[in-house]
Amino acid sequence: MKKANFIVSGLFAAFALVVIFIAKGYPPSNHGVPGPGMFPILIASLILISSVILFIFTLRMPQRTDDTIDLKSRSIINVYVTMAGLILYIAVLPLIGFVTSTSIMLILYMKWFSKRPLWKCVLISVLFTVGIFLLFGNVLNVPIRFGLLI
Amino acid sequence: MLLEVLTAVFNLQITLFIILGVFTGICIGSLPGLTATMGVALVLPLTFGMDAIPGILLLIGVYVGAIYGGSISAILLRTPGTPAAAATVLDGYEFSKRGESGRALGISTVSSFIGGVVSVIALWLISPQLAKLALRFSAPEFFLLAVFGLSIIASISGNSLAKGVLCGALGISLSFIGIDSITGYPRFVFNNVNLLSGMSFIPVMIGLFAMSQAFTTIETIFTPDQVTQKITKVWPTRSDWKVILRQAPISGVIGTFIGIVPGAGAEIGAFVSYGQAKRTSRYPELFGTGIPDGISAPEAGNNGVTGGALIPMLTMGVPGDAVAAILIGALTVQGLQPGPLLFTEHTTLVYSIFLGMFIANIAMLVLGLSSLKLFVKVLSVPKSILTPMIFVLCVVGSYAINTNFFDVGVMLVFGVLGYFMQKADISVSPAVLGLILGPMAESNFRRALLMSEGSYSIFFDSPIAWIFVILTLFTLLGPTIGEQIKKRRQA
Repeated sequence: MKKANFIVSGLFAAFALVVIFIAKGYPPSNHGVPGPGMFPILIASLILISSVILFIFTLRMPQRTDDTIDLKSRSIINVYVTMAGLILYIAVLPLIGFVTSTSIMLILYMKWFSKRPLWKCVLISVLFTVGIFLLFGNVLNVPIRFGLLI
Repeated sequence: MLLEVLTAVFNLQITLFIILGVFTGICIGSLPGLTATMGVALVLPLTFGMDAIPGILLLIGVYVGAIYGGSISAILLRTPGTPAAAATVLDGYEFSKRGESGRALGISTVSSFIGGVVSVIALWLISPQLAKLALRFSAPEFFLLAVFGLSIIASISGNSLAKGVLCGALGISLSFIGIDSITGYPRFVFNNVNLLSGMSFIPVMIGLFAMSQAFTTIETIFTPDQVTQKITKVWPTRSDWKVILRQAPISGVIGTFIGIVPGAGAEIGAFVSYGQAKRTSRYPELFGTGIPDGISAPEAGNNGVTGGALIPMLTMGVPGDAVAAILIGALTVQGLQPGPLLFTEHTTLVYSIFLGMFIANIAMLVLGLSSLKLFVKVLSVPKSILTPMIFVLCVVGSYAINTNFFDVGVMLVFGVLGYFMQKADISVSPAVLGLILGPMAESNFRRALLMSEGSYSIFFDSPIAWIFVILTLFTLLGPTIGEQIKKRRQA
């Protein structure tokens, strides 16, 4: 957890500095009324202070109360692979179309997550996708028809 | 007005929506890993094309059902379906070990109903009075109210206050994106037209609450949950009724008041009610061994929160919990602004919500007592099928709000961020509180200074403002002072 806390405080501190740097360029206050940059600078300063506090507290944290965060085990790798798959799915979704890309995504995930026969995965995936397509496209009037295919 | 409300709610279509919402909510709540917040976030996109009353009541049905549904897996699997049911595990699973899961589920159902009804009554009685009071608020009071709401971050930060503040401040920072409401100056838009109108609130919520939770489920996707219990004798016995009628109303009241506190959710309501029941019991040593009090108190407490959380949301636009935050989003999509004016300009809607919530609780009782076997079957739906479907619902839900793929990307980014925040032991709730209350605080702060021509004394001019200042100080300093007093006593 110590390492994670240091990373968190570092990332937030960097984020706060970027916010302050950008907000400093905004128009100044007018007749005592704060300008658009005042609140972002205030909140970014709060982030900066909290990051420093987290850093100091983590530094003082006794070793025996520290617990490690699992970021490399098999189950966590599965999460990363899933995330990568979803990024790919969202990237191709507008190009290929909802029904095709969603059905393929569902089939692949269901087959990977279970030992179910392929035909069952295909059936469940296609039925669910078409159901969502009809519900959003026809009943709720969300324009879901896009891409090269449907 | 009464006739309008009755006509609006006692309409076959709306009643069916409420029942459907409760049914969906119980199914979602009963599945470990799917929380009430996630359920409401996933169903929200379905309401975009609906009128305000059926849409909001569908979501309220999901909320009420999911908070109750969490107890089903808590009792049968020793795994709370939602965090709100974590306290129910302590005694609930002991019943299952003795083969009395039906009895435990019956106590949970009736207690949840009583807790829910108590909260609806409180909602009905307190909200209009609070709205009348809130009508007298102007910019300084609204600013101080928002600051008070943000100070609650201190109590919902989990193990680390610094992390809670960081997360809350991140939420506020997100609200800066877009055109400044006072000067019209574009902030943090980086020449991206998608950011000009600000960060869309719903994709962020779906990402933080639904997608990140689905990622967490992937970690255990290959370990199935098995239900082996047979459900018999759901109707509580005479001795159980005595306990329920003694415990549930009190816990319902406790839950309601915890729900009113911005940011305090159903899990806190359940644990506080459980603790209170144990403290005041004649047999505290039996808690945790499987006694009816240990189920009745947390279940009435967590369902008590449902109505309580809507009180600040409807009257002042301040969410009582994460679900109420999503409901603010739902109202905004319908072109309605939660706050005191809702009570004068949309009276029928407000009272329809009250009545609809009451009907939702009745539906929960009837469905809970009659269809428990069906809900137990839902527990057998494999995560390997459900989780990919949740991905699709998250994508479609975030796309549907503006029919914009940029929002889908935002949802995924916050899903990933939410997952890693959970890993780093950072609660995501403060971010939501910050995202909602940040703009309220900023715009009212600047409006107040505009009114006073730059004089800060405007924030201390009215008694209401002072009440908020005292409440904020109490919230921030109360726990530290209490700890110091405790230490001195021990010394």
